[in-house]
Amino acid sequence: MSTESIAWPSTAAGSRSFVETLHEWVTTVDHKRLGILYIIYALVFLVIGGIEATVIRIQLIRPHNDFVSPQVFNRLFTMHGTTMIFFVVMPVLFGFANYLIPLMIGARDMAFPRLNAFSFWMTAFGGLFLYFSVVGANGLYGAGNAPDVGWFAYAPLTSQTFSLGHSTDFWTLALLVSGFGSIGTAINIVATVLCMRCPGMTLAKMPLFAWLNLVMAGLVILAVSPLTAAQIMLLVDRYLGGHFFDTQAGGSAVIWMHFFWIFGHPEVYVLVLPAFAFASEIIPVFSRKPIFGYPVMVGATVAIGFISMSVWAHHMFTVGMGAAANTFFVISTMAIAVPTGIKIFNWLATMWGGKIEFKTPMLFCIAFLFQFLIAGLTGVMLGAAPFDWQLGNSYFVVAHFHYVIVGGIMFTLFGAFYYWFPKMSGKMYSETLGKLHFWLFVIGFHLTFDFMHIPGILGMPRRIYTYEPGRGWDTWNLIVTIGVFFQAAGILVFLGNLIWSYFRGELADNDPWDAWTLEWSAHSPPPAYNFALIPTVKSRRPLWDLKHPDDPDWKYE
Amino acid sequence: METNMSIDTLARPDTRTETIEMPAPTAWPIILAFGLTLVFAGMVTSLSVSLLGAILAVTGCIGWFREVLPHEKHETISAIETIRPVSTRRPRVAAVKWMTEELHRARLPLEVYPVRAGVKGGMAGSVAMALLAVTYGIISGRGMWYAINVLAAGFFPGRHPLSQIGEFQWDSLLIASVVHLLVSLSVGLLYGAMLPMLPRRPVLLGGLIAPILWSGLVHSFIGLIDPILNQQIDWLWFVFSQVGFGIVAGIVVSRQQRIPTPQHLPLAVRAGFEVLARFDQKNGGEPR
Amino acid sequence: MSTTTIPPVTAELEWNLPSRGQVAMYSLITAEAAIFTIFVVAYLFYMGKSLSGPMPSEVLTPPILYAVCLLSSSLTIHFAGKNLRDGNVRRFGAWWLLTIALGAIFLYGTASEWHRLIYKDGLTITTNLFGTTYYSLVGLHGFHVVMGLLGLTTVMVFTIFGMVQREHAERIDVLSLYWHFVDAVWVVVFTVVYVIGR
Repeated sequence: MSTESIAWPSTAAGSRSFVETLHEWVTTVDHKRLGILYIIYALVFLVIGGIEATVIRIQLIRPHNDFVSPQVFNRLFTMHGTTMIFFVVMPVLFGFANYLIPLMIGARDMAFPRLNAFSFWMTAFGGLFLYFSVVGANGLYGAGNAPDVGWFAYAPLTSQTFSLGHSTDFWTLALLVSGFGSIGTAINIVATVLCMRCPGMTLAKMPLFAWLNLVMAGLVILAVSPLTAAQIMLLVDRYLGGHFFDTQAGGSAVIWMHFFWIFGHPEVYVLVLPAFAFASEIIPVFSRKPIFGYPVMVGATVAIGFISMSVWAHHMFTVGMGAAANTFFVISTMAIAVPTGIKIFNWLATMWGGKIEFKTPMLFCIAFLFQFLIAGLTGVMLGAAPFDWQLGNSYFVVAHFHYVIVGGIMFTLFGAFYYWFPKMSGKMYSETLGKLHFWLFVIGFHLTFDFMHIPGILGMPRRIYTYEPGRGWDTWNLIVTIGVFFQAAGILVFLGNLIWSYFRGELADNDPWDAWTLEWSAHSPPPAYNFALIPTVKSRRPLWDLKHPDDPDWKYE
Repeated sequence: METNMSIDTLARPDTRTETIEMPAPTAWPIILAFGLTLVFAGMVTSLSVSLLGAILAVTGCIGWFREVLPHEKHETISAIETIRPVSTRRPRVAAVKWMTEELHRARLPLEVYPVRAGVKGGMAGSVAMALLAVTYGIISGRGMWYAINVLAAGFFPGRHPLSQIGEFQWDSLLIASVVHLLVSLSVGLLYGAMLPMLPRRPVLLGGLIAPILWSGLVHSFIGLIDPILNQQIDWLWFVFSQVGFGIVAGIVVSRQQRIPTPQHLPLAVRAGFEVLARFDQKNGGEPR
Repeated sequence: MSTTTIPPVTAELEWNLPSRGQVAMYSLITAEAAIFTIFVVAYLFYMGKSLSGPMPSEVLTPPILYAVCLLSSSLTIHFAGKNLRDGNVRRFGAWWLLTIALGAIFLYGTASEWHRLIYKDGLTITTNLFGTTYYSLVGLHGFHVVMGLLGLTTVMVFTIFGMVQREHAERIDVLSLYWHFVDAVWVVVFTVVYVIGR
């Protein structure tokens, strides 16, 4: 099934000039190259966002610190949140989806290769545009100032009165631009999954990765569009003197919150569904067992997709929406724990009785299971309105959602990096460095985010610039900041591993993990056309069928 | 392996060729994206930036159109097929042999109790437990209605807890009966579902260990749910009556006839819309 | 396995997948519908909350004629597509041109209404909440009409140069789908702005 190609340019890359290579990458419409571009782009922004987080934590390491000024601090947490959500996690997930979906469903490219390139460049220019604000926010003549209104930019902070200059406009326009890119990619993913599957791959035989990304793309379409609409309204207010969020003229600040969180909460599931997708691919392979309860996994995914559209106002319990609305959003928030819990049990049941191999990707996925469970539990706690009244907008909330995004999403993401690195680069990563990365990151993660809950319970509000000594927060903040340095060290080891292995790693086999989905039948790295012969599949594990002709899956599915 | 491949790949003539057509690389998408970004960037810099962006965007659009209309541009890539077989380090499949050889890839558990077994067990257990509780009331001298009134006491927060605790009260009897029967029914159903998965010593597990475990659980939270019950409870007798329930329910459930697990049947069959023409009960073979 | 199993699926299996153009257009329409939903919700939410005049009941008259024009363009584009599938390119062009004309008449209607509102009634986007929501919602729809017309005109240019043939019918249908959506949205906007909102 795998072929080697002389014409595939990357094999001859060494002899090409830099400009030629650059031209190739800039004009490419190949889903694999665009996927890698997404991933590298996201890694660059991961470092930037990580540095911002580190500076925030250094500022909070002790009371009355003045490592940065309050103005810079506001810009830092705004840029950190915006960068990590829109320019790190979303692009990296789109990158993996781009790279892997066509390979997994036996297609040669995405449904719309040029739209794919366009969407990537929109996202990329959106991120660069946001960071252009650091040097040029008052027009080309003034000193720059980055957005400082927080990543959810509540009105009336964003009105002309309170946000002079163009800093908020940079935030709005950058998200608008990257939002177009996201919607384009989402449409592309939906069309690819539905229309490009190889013969025999019915919806019930798709890898779970494709299913989860299909639901993710549907959520992007339904969730990012309201954000786009809200951003247009904000632009109307700021540029044309409209009154959407202008309370002086009868407008409402609360409706901005509604519009933002109608995007904001499904967005969490946009980010976490691909993480589930990674776990659903990695855990079975390293447990040497098929995924437990495939139909239920698909059903739970679709259920999460639907329920996640009706939970947004649990971010707004402290606004005072009234008892009826509060009750509705409490119940829907609790309800979403059910399909998520089903998934966790299915992963556990997949591992149960399996021959588990503790390779780096699997380690990250196991840590993910524990951490995501805790994140879900604090989520249920915060989903109860009375509890939220007590701890809303405290560091407990910050700890909760970092537990979801770092402990849940980032961990599976690292697992995915190690798992598919041999396929993408053709080289094996260093298992030693991978394990080092894992342990550094696990220690750092728990130091930072376990202990971050405590100052939250003790009343430390989020986004606080500095604090008085003697409130019981000092020690916890010190520990939290120490954890950050472990995480930073872990990230450095990770990046070092990627770079070193790419140049010096040993050559990888087509199928180093003895896995079962179609991408492992292609050459490592796959040629431009992926498959010389379009494969035909008969079960959910086509490579199992090929490897075990005497005991194939399709007899039993 | 070569033969395998020919079975498993679609032998269409157009995919057999030495060359493969892929979409040609193009710069127009990046130009359009850059143009659009500049259009928006002009809003925070100057109008000229927007103008430049608009020009680029229009150029990008036109270029893109010419790329796909009337025909999409392709580049031809030559593919030299060196089909490398898909192989595995673990060719042998470990069969599940601890039951019989034929049961490889069976759905576990092979047999389950029908729903009515759980209902019966729950009801029988509820009778046993009620008898034990009433006996306790009589032996301890608190009256035969004592246990019933205590169970229902949480529903009557206004009533003084200890005034008429041993006397007959029809509303307490009604509520206590409903609570008792509902809980017994759900625990009975749980027994029906779980006992096939605990094949060794079901009566020990279901009759003794499980009741003691949930007694401990109840002990930890009953003070929050029903403080009156918590004050009045005699924990030794509580455990006794729970174990009575567990043993009776366990025995009744495990004496019922088991049926083959229906998990692998199509939904239409399980819902009763369709009837299977032929269904091998022994190993749950292909229903089709 | 001792029991009989299904015979292996052979290479001749029938394999039909949905058209990617249609799927993508429906996805795009879903995204656009979500955007319009937010604007419609904002319009309904702010109805009657303006602190000063002019109020919708004083200045708005339902543009029924122009609405009829836009809605009937859905019919004409349908006939155009039908003719193209039958291979009748000239009649396709005629119906297509009629569709563009009807869309342009609608745009003229919106433009003249705005001109009257701004210069005669003194309602701008900054005047009050009604102005803000009205111009945003109707303007957003107008923007979609303009985009649709640009697409239609591009096809018209290609038709004039004889580059549209029967085999392009599928792509033309995808574009028609977008135009139908623009028309359907107008039904919602019309109801909200001129019926409920007045």
